[in-house]
Amino acid sequence: MIEKIIAILNEITGADAGEIQPDTELFAEGILDSFGLVQLLVALEDQGCTLDAAELDRDAISTPEKLAALAEQAG
Amino acid sequence: MFILEKLAQYARTERTAIVYGEDSLSFAALEQRSNAFARYLLDTLADDHTPVMIYGHKELAIPACMFGCLKSGRGYVPVDTTFPPERVQRIAEQVQPKLVVDLAGCGVKAPTVLDAAALEQVLSLPAETVSRENWIAPDQTAYILFTSGSTGTPKGVQITAGNLAAFREGVAPWFNLGLDGGRFLNEISYSFDVSVCALYDALGRGMTLYTVDKQMLGDPKTLFAALRQSGIDAWVSTPSLAEICVQSEQFTSQLLPQVKQFVFCGEVLTKKLTEQMMERFPGVPILNAYGPTEATVLVTAAEMTKDMLQSDRPLPIGYAFENVAARIVSDSGAVLPDGEAGELLLVGESVSPGYFGRPDLNAKSFFTDEETGQQGYHTGDLCYRLNGLIYYCGRLDSQVKLNGFRVELEDVEHHLVRVDNIARAAVLPVMTDGKVTSLTAFVLLEHPDGLSSLKRGQAIKAALAGVLPSYMIPRKFIALDAFPLNTNGKVDKKSLAALL
Repeated sequence: MIEKIIAILNEITGADAGEIQPDTELFAEGILDSFGLVQLLVALEDQGCTLDAAELDRDAISTPEKLAALAEQAG
Repeated sequence: MFILEKLAQYARTERTAIVYGEDSLSFAALEQRSNAFARYLLDTLADDHTPVMIYGHKELAIPACMFGCLKSGRGYVPVDTTFPPERVQRIAEQVQPKLVVDLAGCGVKAPTVLDAAALEQVLSLPAETVSRENWIAPDQTAYILFTSGSTGTPKGVQITAGNLAAFREGVAPWFNLGLDGGRFLNEISYSFDVSVCALYDALGRGMTLYTVDKQMLGDPKTLFAALRQSGIDAWVSTPSLAEICVQSEQFTSQLLPQVKQFVFCGEVLTKKLTEQMMERFPGVPILNAYGPTEATVLVTAAEMTKDMLQSDRPLPIGYAFENVAARIVSDSGAVLPDGEAGELLLVGESVSPGYFGRPDLNAKSFFTDEETGQQGYHTGDLCYRLNGLIYYCGRLDSQVKLNGFRVELEDVEHHLVRVDNIARAAVLPVMTDGKVTSLTAFVLLEHPDGLSSLKRGQAIKAALAGVLPSYMIPRKFIALDAFPLNTNGKVDKKSLAALL
């Protein structure tokens, strides 16, 4: 899951492979804003993983590894 | 002026005008505070009618300042905190305000600057009703909204009190929900003209504005908590906000049980979103509406239907309001028959007198209609009409709408090439389902910088943040070794688009 999320983030942000790490702070480092987050959620949904936006607070999704943990819970 | 009369009328009731978090403002307080501000302006500025500049976000004090300006016979220039200080400064240089309300420390110099504490003192002063003789006249500028300009300098659209009256008349059949009070979503930044729906139409009908600010928008959980509490009856927003919301399965009529109408405007409404909204909110009308800032917020609207979703065409932007002549013309200015695409021209009482201090642009964009003598505007939007419904096909220039905001790509490019080490830049919109979802910038570096793509992107973003509003900053930066050129020696954007 973590690889999937990082691949989507690379596509959204234009980051090179290896630049976004599992513990990269996505919001604090200005990598993702709220509209970028929506793009990420849509891309995840297309791959069969639905995260409910209403349940997401920024601290809980601030890094790829936190996002992956939530996505795995969501099944 | 209708809104000032209505505010005075509702001030005699117990109604709440605005809710923002734990705070709220009654119509009575809004009336008192706007009177106090008007009185202060009359005493301080006397006969000087230069617009007042208001820098802030969604603070409860802002509408009181706006209406206070109108009561004292002058306009205002709302500038949101998404505008960085450098851009605010350039707006101030054009407007030359004598008085600035600075709620967020923009640092603009003026003979009088009121910060939040000083403003609070002014607004708290007891004040008598301001005589109507002082109120703004129909031909006077009520507000100036600054939008992206292709030369890198923001341009100010002037809207008069008469334009606003025409807007309200035109939109009435579409917004007339027969509501007696009720709550209205107040999410749009005050420096974006769709907020006029809340400030002039909803407050003018005694509704309560339920505020959602940019912090709430940035955190989905907080946004949903706010929506859950909102109890809103009417929703007017860009499609982008609804696109954030439909990412949760909770965004249904159970979350907003009272909502009676959705109005989307400011950018392309996709069929996908409309379909989702119809499923989530069965029986609640969904309107698509359209209008350039230069013709006062909205000039067309239509309710979306299942037939429209099934058609091969994009969703229509609507029927022209009764008090607006919407003409689709060829390059030579001839009115085109149904089905043929050309530039959309708008003529009517809601068309702005022009850009502030820009006769060069006004001569190109505005005209006097020979038939009616009314003001007309070249929208630059390519449209066609079928059975009265107008369909949008794209722009005649390189302007795009992103999350409802108007962005001239050349404006972004102008600032990009001023960033250290960037020799050339081209900005392209990234499209999904016919709607712009983000911007990508291609850059040619003067010399290799040794940075990774992400680090370079972050450095460029940080440089742009000093001069451009956040919504104009590209999400993705791609450095090229050479730019593809067309036969005229210009950057070939079609080849670049293939790299997106």
